[in-house]
Amino acid sequence: MEEMMNKILNIFLTFILTAFFATSTFAATKVVWWMESSADTDPTVQEMMCDAFNAEQDEVELECVFKEDINDTIRPALLSGSGPDMFDTPGASYIKIYQDAGLVKSMQEYADQYGWQDKLLGWAYNSGVFDGELYSIPKNYETMIYFYNKTLFEENGWSTPNNLEEVESLAAKIKAKGMNVYAYGSAGWQPTHEHLVGNYFNTYAGPDNVYKALIGEKKWTDPEFVEAIELLRKHMVDEGYWSGDLETYYSLDWDDFNNEFATRGSAMLMIGTWGFNVTATNFGETSDDWDWNPLPILNSQAGSAPNYQLATGGTMSINAASKNADGAAKVIDWILSDKERALKVTGSLGYGAWLLPLKYTDADFDPNIDPRQKRFLTEFAEASDSGNYGYTTWTFYPNDPGVHIWKDMEVVWAGDITPLEFMEESQRLWDQARADDALVPVGKR
Amino acid sequence: MATARFRQRSSYINHAILIFMALTIILPLLVLAFNSIKPSSEFGANPLGFPNEIRLMNYYDAWVNGNYTQIFMNSLTLVIGTLILNLTVSGLAAFSLAILNPRGIQTIVVGLYLLVGISIPAQLFILPLFLMWKSLYLLDTRIGLVIIYSALNAPFATFLIRSYMLQLPTELFEAAKLDGASVMQLFTRVALPLSWPVFLTTALIVSLTVWNEFLFAITFIITDEYKPISSILFTFQSRFANDYGLVSAASILMAAPIAILFMFFQRRFIAGLTSGATKG
Amino acid sequence: MPKFLTSINAISWYFLFPVIFIHFFVVMFPSVLSLLLCLTDWNGFGRINYVGLENFQELFRDRVFKKAVKHNIIWTVMFLTIPVIVALIIAYLLTGIKRGQLFYRLVYFFPYILASIVNCLIWRYIFHPRHGLGGWFENQGIDFLAKSPFAMKETALYAVAWVDMWHFWGFLVIIYLTGMYQVDDSLYEAADIEGATKFQKFRYITLPMIRPIFVLSLIIIIIWSVPTFDYVYILTMGGPAYSSEVVANHLYSQAFQRMNVGYASTIGVMMFFYVGIIVGFFAILRRMGWEV
Repeated sequence: MEEMMNKILNIFLTFILTAFFATSTFAATKVVWWMESSADTDPTVQEMMCDAFNAEQDEVELECVFKEDINDTIRPALLSGSGPDMFDTPGASYIKIYQDAGLVKSMQEYADQYGWQDKLLGWAYNSGVFDGELYSIPKNYETMIYFYNKTLFEENGWSTPNNLEEVESLAAKIKAKGMNVYAYGSAGWQPTHEHLVGNYFNTYAGPDNVYKALIGEKKWTDPEFVEAIELLRKHMVDEGYWSGDLETYYSLDWDDFNNEFATRGSAMLMIGTWGFNVTATNFGETSDDWDWNPLPILNSQAGSAPNYQLATGGTMSINAASKNADGAAKVIDWILSDKERALKVTGSLGYGAWLLPLKYTDADFDPNIDPRQKRFLTEFAEASDSGNYGYTTWTFYPNDPGVHIWKDMEVVWAGDITPLEFMEESQRLWDQARADDALVPVGKR
Repeated sequence: MATARFRQRSSYINHAILIFMALTIILPLLVLAFNSIKPSSEFGANPLGFPNEIRLMNYYDAWVNGNYTQIFMNSLTLVIGTLILNLTVSGLAAFSLAILNPRGIQTIVVGLYLLVGISIPAQLFILPLFLMWKSLYLLDTRIGLVIIYSALNAPFATFLIRSYMLQLPTELFEAAKLDGASVMQLFTRVALPLSWPVFLTTALIVSLTVWNEFLFAITFIITDEYKPISSILFTFQSRFANDYGLVSAASILMAAPIAILFMFFQRRFIAGLTSGATKG
Repeated sequence: MPKFLTSINAISWYFLFPVIFIHFFVVMFPSVLSLLLCLTDWNGFGRINYVGLENFQELFRDRVFKKAVKHNIIWTVMFLTIPVIVALIIAYLLTGIKRGQLFYRLVYFFPYILASIVNCLIWRYIFHPRHGLGGWFENQGIDFLAKSPFAMKETALYAVAWVDMWHFWGFLVIIYLTGMYQVDDSLYEAADIEGATKFQKFRYITLPMIRPIFVLSLIIIIIWSVPTFDYVYILTMGGPAYSSEVVANHLYSQAFQRMNVGYASTIGVMMFFYVGIIVGFFAILRRMGWEV
């Protein structure tokens, strides 16, 4: 019975859903690329990437299309077969689903032909490999750090914290001055919560434990994870570290909290490295100075030195229905093959976007680069090379547990469920994802 | 005397209530209007009031960045196309349900069908519909969207027109039938002229829905040149999240044509209704 | 031509055919297609596996779904009372007024013609803790509305409903006015002669006379409350902590965020059931002789 239903449904639905996959409207010499749009950076990307590529050769004509909400737009387009030759996704967990459905092309032959594995940082290359073949390449890599108002810290004689005790005593001092500890808000992007969860997992439970849980050797319900969530709950709800209270944190969007940080409404900003650009710009309009540090370790089991969480911010892939996959591969190879040009692009974007995970050396950097940004680039490379790295949820979590981790964090903050119940649900979703073979690759530690 | 004074006092109270309710609507709208001409530097010190310095450039920016002329024409095409198709099919159906066979099985069957149809959430059928439209080459075309909008608005329009036609005096139709009018002539010569106020009301509401709709607009129109204004404003809000001046100006540009249209139709619409009431 | 093709019964079907055809084509057929998916675990892309009633079992375990259903009920009750009462009173007051009537109508109806996205923009700004009213009070040194009602779990659902009602009630005023103007003036004149009060005239003349349009408005509200989506989606995304999640919102996030298309279809089936019950209820009312 079940098998027959299965068969009928399969034939019926797949017929309707796949009947018109074949059409592609784009000419053979043209490559259309749908990119995630960001008003500030689009013109620069157009000029330094797309126009530059077209100016340098005339074999392939590249057309860059900037799309809002790329994730919602690309899905029906791929499904209908009318999609672009190349497209962006927010991260590897999205690629996994497209790969299952055969909607994304394997780039393994191109990777072998052009030698991409040697050009990319190992962990970044591996994040796009599914079932032994390459399906996506990160456009950008990022990690979580915190910025602080250096002038403010010097005025008050504060020093940057290195452990939980120092964090909490510094927070008390900042609050006594009538300021908020960290500026942050989720109104512009609800999954912002997962940044904080990832931070507490990696600095409290520690990357070794996170790794074991990711590969299934440890349970997410183990005490170190539950305690990390409880600590985050305490800091958010009881202490109001982020923008003063939970409700205000929910109400502020990007511009709000960036302005709050630059105008001394808050002393620190715990954010990803995409914050470099806007922080530098905003502080340029004030008389204050800023600097950054890796996140302080909150518990000795998380190691002795700060770790950098690995994250890819956006990936590029080739549509399985593309008529010009060879052309698309040429575009990708052009992007990956000139480190100097890559750094120039990301430099003009403030090192927050389009930071391709290539194997840079000191000599590749512009001598005029802001020393704070250079310090990040070299320290991150050293730390991740020596194995001292952590894991972000949006690069290493499968889809279902990934949504749960930020959506239901609100329920913990609301006090409707305990941290333990939260982690039990997370474990259940992980078990299910593992059973469904929906996991995202995690490189060996 | 006593009743006259009482009437006067009660009319003051009536007006006070009406004015209070009007203010709950006008004040928030004024905030939007003020914001649309406020320079962004002034928002912190003066969040609600009239701007100290008027900046009409917000409108210019919104117009140019939004490519307003083109988008306005796209939206207008969608509205007119939907009105033609939707009012035709709904008008015919309402005529059938209210006049031709008001006690027939049709009323129950179609009524139930449309009632169920009206309450299906769009999220349920949008993906299969997308694939159907693709296969019929209706995807990324304005006519494809017009068909969708006509169907989505059909239940409401049919109900509204029907409920008005039910009030029409049946003697008129009987008289016309005796004069030898065909069924189609009953519709065009008798029902339509008598029920134009409800067609105006329906047209107004359908136009609003189409003008303001964005979920289908964003999904079914892929090419930028065909996009209507609602999807552009949606884009604007995520793009310029905190440039309240610019976003407010863009919102007002979106609301302006439909507001003017509404006021123009509103006078005719009221005149029709009141004359109908006094004659009836 | 055979008689059964030209009978009034057949002709009335011809007139109904276009609307049924177009609506079936756009809404019903793809919906049924989607509903087949509720027996599968489809994720929107990959293999389609038949899983029987597993999704329904999951539904009864789903805490968020239960919460969303509760919120939909609260939502419906709110919309059946507050805007209906306000609109009835206001429409009735308007019929007694000669000067300025047009002005009031225009004002009340105005928010209804604005796109949801515009209305949400206005109210999100007004309730923003750093701008709007909160910012204004802060500038006066008063600590009021320092937290956005959209961000507090106790108030989020009501705040969203407030914005939707703010935009919606003027529509009801126009609908009721349409009905009230069809009431014969001579009825009121007769009541005046007998010395009826304003309330008595409202209760014994206006209400019974506008009953068809009044009942229609209630049906519209109940039915529109089922798939209510955009105000919640734009203002709160159902948050914080699902405190403003409604069923359509839950369906959307299951389908498009968690990619559980099969499960999302199951929620759609439940919506169908619910609507079926309501429609059945009104069918019974009709049978009992109500002009609905």
